[in-house]
Amino acid sequence: MNKMWNYIKDWFIEMGSPPLFFKWSSKVLPWLIFTTIIIFALGLTWGLFYSPTDYKQGDVYRIIYIHVPSAILGQSIFMFMAVCGFITMVWRVKISGMLLKAAAPIGASFTLLALLTGSIWGKPTWGTWWVWDARLTSTLILFFIYAAIIGLHSSIDDKSKADRAISILSIVGIAIIPIIKKSVDWWQTLHQPSTFSLTSAPSMTPDMYQPLLVCVLGFYLMFALLLTMNLRAEVIVREKNKSWVSKQYLSEDK
Amino acid sequence: MKSNIYNWFFLILRRDLLIASRRSSTYITPLIFFLIVISFFPIALSPDQEFLRSLAPGVIWIAALLSSLLAIETIFSEDFRDGTLDEFFISNDPSFVLVFAKVLCHWLVTGFPILIASIISSLILYLPFNSLMPMICSLILGTFFMSLLGAIGAALSLGKSAILSAIIVLPFSIPTLLMGTAAVASAIDYQDYSGFLLIMGAMLAIGIPGLCLLTVEAILLNYE
Amino acid sequence: MLPKLKVSNLSCTRAGNLLFNNLNFEVNAGQNIEIIGSNGSGKTTLLRILLGLIHIGKGDMEWLDNKDNYNQFRDMECFYQGHSLGIKNLLSAEENLRLSSFSFGVSEEKIHSSLDRVGIERHSALASELSVGQKKRISIARWLLKDFGIYFIDEPFSALDDEASNLIEEIIEELNKKGASFVITGHRPSNVVSSQINLDHEV
Repeated sequence: MNKMWNYIKDWFIEMGSPPLFFKWSSKVLPWLIFTTIIIFALGLTWGLFYSPTDYKQGDVYRIIYIHVPSAILGQSIFMFMAVCGFITMVWRVKISGMLLKAAAPIGASFTLLALLTGSIWGKPTWGTWWVWDARLTSTLILFFIYAAIIGLHSSIDDKSKADRAISILSIVGIAIIPIIKKSVDWWQTLHQPSTFSLTSAPSMTPDMYQPLLVCVLGFYLMFALLLTMNLRAEVIVREKNKSWVSKQYLSEDK
Repeated sequence: MKSNIYNWFFLILRRDLLIASRRSSTYITPLIFFLIVISFFPIALSPDQEFLRSLAPGVIWIAALLSSLLAIETIFSEDFRDGTLDEFFISNDPSFVLVFAKVLCHWLVTGFPILIASIISSLILYLPFNSLMPMICSLILGTFFMSLLGAIGAALSLGKSAILSAIIVLPFSIPTLLMGTAAVASAIDYQDYSGFLLIMGAMLAIGIPGLCLLTVEAILLNYE
Repeated sequence: MLPKLKVSNLSCTRAGNLLFNNLNFEVNAGQNIEIIGSNGSGKTTLLRILLGLIHIGKGDMEWLDNKDNYNQFRDMECFYQGHSLGIKNLLSAEENLRLSSFSFGVSEEKIHSSLDRVGIERHSALASELSVGQKKRISIARWLLKDFGIYFIDEPFSALDDEASNLIEEIIEELNKKGASFVITGHRPSNVVSSQINLDHEV
């Protein structure tokens, strides 16, 4: 047990070094691509084509298999970013700052996808492209916060300083986001007397629920894949003057 | 007498208030900006009395948010440039207390003009008189929280455009906006508005230490 | 006498460039050190690391305390003047001294006598009305307010005429006799220092 704990600790310390991370991720990447494609495709085809039709909403509800996972990912990625930010500020680890920077556009894209699919869901069910529903509004605000983080990072030229700046912003964000969600929830009940919210999920039977879980897992794997690829690119760009980068690329030119 | 954090706190208050009193633009411009923003609404939408009365709580709060944000923009830039800000961080004393002193002073200088502007605006937007006191209370709490958030935004974007600071700060000010307008709106209907003020107070209670600590980290980034 | 500050194996990298590597020096009582280097060689960075404004990456700093022990944390009162003078334009000369963070417990006579010593005549003139040289003299007046252990001054002799440079050298010698030490930066070696650190050679 102790040996495994030491192994994990050593792995974390090793991953802090960019060339070692790059080597490790090159080995892991093919497996990650393979697993992601399999589970992602499995989940989506099962959900979009083979799950039963809903009684109330018809086939339109199937967009839930993209909307819900991307919303869940959008929020989880922000929590991941806040943890990375905390580690960067307290322990001054460089790689967690790069993780934070690499994860931000991925999180923003998933949140945007959730907004777009929510909007597409709304058109046939409510007749409009947008409704100031509590969940859509708080997802929109989350998207604004992602945009602020990405914008702040791009405005600072010294990139390790930029990492620490967005760490601070993500820590403030994670503290304020629950307050935003609660207050937007409350605000919406004040102004919309109907309790049926636009994108509430239909009550789900197991054969609707199972493909949803597979889709969520597939989306998480997709996040891991995109994050690894993004981080590899980030590491190469930042360390481009170091000798290991030219050796790496020279050695790959077999 | 070795420097004591309390003495230093009051020293900063005295110094910044003295400087602000000699530069009248510090406290006149937020007031004028507030009134300009307010006048845009009747001009762009409609001068109808009933319509403006229904809009009044929200419009006054939006103008307060924007004025507060733009006013706090320069809180650290002058001190950073002339080297006074360095003194906070080279001593052994907790620097977030000193940052809080700067934010407090800035709020005292810009908050009162905003309050006065809001009282004028409540007249020109036909806000019902019974909600005037609740509006002032909510603005006091809200603009202080905005100043704290604006300080972090100013520290992170020190030396860069104000609009970057705006996108950083404005999404985080949405709870304040919601609670503030709710307080004024329920006061108009003679309902109990104390809950909203309590929530804003709670946000301040957590925000003062938390945001000041993070602001210190953000300012230190600029030295690297 | 024990050195007030011991620096060992200090290294710093800024934006990918190694500024200095394995720097070792000591600051003794009554003696001055000058950090010389061309622009961008890291003089201000080194000063900021010594004061704690920038996180110390690699290396050790040890400060002497009252009980003759060495600590990581600084106990003695130090004075710092950065490249910009720390003088507020909208305050008068005496207000700048009175409201400075280095002037706790300092009496009014001390403030006025310090201003007289550096050659400022109108104590209640706003700093915005004075010339750059006079503003520099006001910032020098702060050195005299209290007995500081170490003075960290960034480029004290820049943009000064001969009279003012001589004034600074006199004041530095006076303060040295009281046991204070100076760590200054500059482009060229100056007469007041006993040892120098040349950052252009330290990489």
